[in-house]
Amino acid sequence: MDWTREALTDRVYEILREDLLSVGDEFTPRSSLIEAGLDSLAVTQLLLAIEESTGVWVDESLLTEETLASAESLAACVHAQIARA
Amino acid sequence: MPKSRAPDRVPLTGADCFLRAFDHEVRRKSGASHLSQLVLRLGPGFDPNALAKLIAEVAEAQPILRAPIRRPFGVLPPEFRLDLAAKAPLPRVEILDAPRSPGEPPLPPLFAERLNARLDGRRGELLRCDVVRHAGGAEGSDVAFTWLHMLLDGSGSERFVRWLDEVGQGARSAADLPDEPTTDSAVASARARGDQALRWQARMRSFASRAPRSLAGPLARTPQRLEVDLATFTREETERIVARARKLAGFLTPMLFYLAASVRAHRSVFQLRGIDPRSFVVPLPVNLRAKGAGGALFGTRVSLLWFQVFPEACAELEGLLADLKAQRLAAIKEGMVEAGTAAMDYARWLPRSAYARMARRSFGGELCSFFFAYTDEFLPGMTSFLGAPIENAFHAPSVPPSPGSGAIFSLREGRLNFSHVRQAGVFSGFELVRFRRSLRADLLGEAE
Repeated sequence: MDWTREALTDRVYEILREDLLSVGDEFTPRSSLIEAGLDSLAVTQLLLAIEESTGVWVDESLLTEETLASAESLAACVHAQIARA
Repeated sequence: MPKSRAPDRVPLTGADCFLRAFDHEVRRKSGASHLSQLVLRLGPGFDPNALAKLIAEVAEAQPILRAPIRRPFGVLPPEFRLDLAAKAPLPRVEILDAPRSPGEPPLPPLFAERLNARLDGRRGELLRCDVVRHAGGAEGSDVAFTWLHMLLDGSGSERFVRWLDEVGQGARSAADLPDEPTTDSAVASARARGDQALRWQARMRSFASRAPRSLAGPLARTPQRLEVDLATFTREETERIVARARKLAGFLTPMLFYLAASVRAHRSVFQLRGIDPRSFVVPLPVNLRAKGAGGALFGTRVSLLWFQVFPEACAELEGLLADLKAQRLAAIKEGMVEAGTAAMDYARWLPRSAYARMARRSFGGELCSFFFAYTDEFLPGMTSFLGAPIENAFHAPSVPPSPGSGAIFSLREGRLNFSHVRQAGVFSGFELVRFRRSLRADLLGEAE
């Protein structure tokens, strides 16, 4: 499957919302992931789920305060990694 | 926490039972309990009598704070017996006056003494509180909450203190606990959980090929005599350390940086003794609470990720970190967080001595190389407790006489706290200097 940035955002958001975070309706693709309680274990589980969906492992060293700002920014980081792969 | 079969009984979690096994071992061999402690260093304006009244009020409203822990029929998984709590004494609050030395004053020796005492969970003795006032409180107070470890884990204890403050300030009632989220993730079948537990056991057994040595040596019959040192780094130093941890270990995994520095500090003492540690085996607690949820105060909600590193991989901090990162990722990929939980769940059914027997078989008599925890920011955003400013706050969990050394890191208002909890006599004075130098050099990236 060819992953567009929008499709990736939807997938990342879905994994976070359904499987990893305990969040309400106020959580959107632009919400802060750190404030939503994302921790190191959840991030690694997220990366594993992304790998399962896309076949691409996102190098953890690429994760920064900026890339983890929201589901949208994280999806952009993943999209760039897929483009390079 | 698993749902209770009856509203007046709360089953212990698997992790609670794991800690209960430690408690059993420590009671049997060292005369103490396996406790944990949270210390608040407060400025002026603290009223210890208000705290005593508050503790009594919340213990009346929340019976789990003094619920006897019993195993039904002597064989079923243990439970907090809320129905028996009313007969148990209220948590003790003791107030002591002591002078305070200028500068960064040492911790009151009373707090370490409390870690060496016994709390009897069967009688509902789960929590106690000690206040040391300086100049009648005009120069501040030190407050220690000490509890049987299965009542609260590190994160839960901070949530408990925050909740206690909210009750004390009248922002919520003592009967009103934060919402505890329910997780609707699919629960694995009994067979799948059995497989997970077996995988965890196999992983533990794999460490046996080069079983670790602790600085204290295998657990023997010896009275527990814990000492606690607190090192608080300056804001400037902490900024450098935090930046270094992010750079070397990654934005979200700074705990590996502190773990690597702690491994190397313990290794430096082995080097001084001229003893081969064979390997370092260290458990890393992993918080299992629903992410972003505010509730879940009571009970231990952790799994453990176990690491094994060999001395030859510890020569350089960066190399050791690469090893730890790879192990962490592999362990999470292999489902070792879930496997650890499944294994600990089985511990609910086993006799308390079973884990220690398994550890001894796998690790040549040792439980692990040392205890380690990194709990991140301590009570972020909370600046006062019951009206008194919080000057500092940190954890000091007890460490059994073997491994005899525990390294606990946390951040408070821009300053890194390192609590070194250790059995008296395990480190000589010279070894302690070497240990601290090694740790400091790695944290700050300075030459020793």
